[in-house]
Amino acid sequence: MSLQTKFGRLAAVLVLAVTALAGRSHAQVLNSGASTITLQAVLNDSLSVTLSGNAVNFNLTAGSANNPGSVAITATTTWISKAGRNLSLYAFFANSATALTDGAGDNIPSADFQISDNAGPFNALTNTVPFGGANAGLTLFTQKITGTSKTGSTTDVMNFNINLSTLPNLPANTYTGTLTIQAQII
Amino acid sequence: MKTGKVVRILAVALGIALVTTMASAQAINSGAQTIALNATLTESLTLSLTANAVNFTLAAGSAANAGSTSITATTAWVLKPGRTAVGVYAYFASAAAALTDGAGDNIPSSAFFIADNAQPSTALTASVPFGGALAGLQLGGANTAITGANRNSNRTDVMAFNINLTGGTLPQLPAALYTGTLNIQAQATP
Repeated sequence: MSLQTKFGRLAAVLVLAVTALAGRSHAQVLNSGASTITLQAVLNDSLSVTLSGNAVNFNLTAGSANNPGSVAITATTTWISKAGRNLSLYAFFANSATALTDGAGDNIPSADFQISDNAGPFNALTNTVPFGGANAGLTLFTQKITGTSKTGSTTDVMNFNINLSTLPNLPANTYTGTLTIQAQII
Repeated sequence: MKTGKVVRILAVALGIALVTTMASAQAINSGAQTIALNATLTESLTLSLTANAVNFTLAAGSAANAGSTSITATTAWVLKPGRTAVGVYAYFASAAAALTDGAGDNIPSSAFFIADNAQPSTALTASVPFGGALAGLQLGGANTAITGANRNSNRTDVMAFNINLTGGTLPQLPAALYTGTLNIQAQATP
């Protein structure tokens, strides 16, 4: 092998080596360490009730069992919860003896105040429910929350009546009161 | 030592389970929505009669000229607290001319009698809240007292009528048709 040939080979090897090194130095990536972010998304339980109205008037007839309210009110209950719990909607007064009063000692008790829920029969507010006074409430509905009803909404159309057949001597006057609607998941 | 460790682990696990269960059992309440209720029982006092006409066939100078029919007055009320009495009254507009022939001949209210609920007949000679002076009669003779037990109630008065033509110049009352209007009205007081 001539010196010239040797030199040529050496030159070729050097060129290749330099080219290779240069190429590798360009292609090499630099990675940092992996930093993690913990994600936590909370969908809180929620429960709300809205009413289509907030006032009902009654024109009473003395001694009459039928004294309907001026308007029906729709309660819309909306929830997000876990399965396996019970959802209930309640109507109640603070005091069973004085659901409505004239402020002069004459009262209409909750036992004479009736609600028809979704066109069902009229029921008096005579039960003890989680809210309000003893024997002053009515459960409008109770339903189990299942896997398919963990979120939902339901409506209750409430019609009202005051039964004065047990209060034949109620004096003429204006009687006022506050009916409360509230839901609970437990 | 080993047993104690196991017991401790179990206790911790039990505690965690209990807390988890309690958290699950915690009630969720919606906000309380209120409905204002306003019920009005209007005060009322009504009086109705079973009929609105009575005829008399008069006999000159006779004390007994009975009406053709009895009339029942039904008084019904729904009263506010504070009312203490209901009175029912029969009256004419004028004591002197309870009935008249329109030609100057009159039958005074003092000759017109009402027997209320089979009680003795009484002439309309009192001044009552309505009508002319000395031209009325309180039926039953007294108010119905109102208490907590009868604020919504009623009463009935069965009235039988008579015209007495024996007094004063009435025996000389000329033959004619005498007409008049008797009013029945109730009042709650105070």
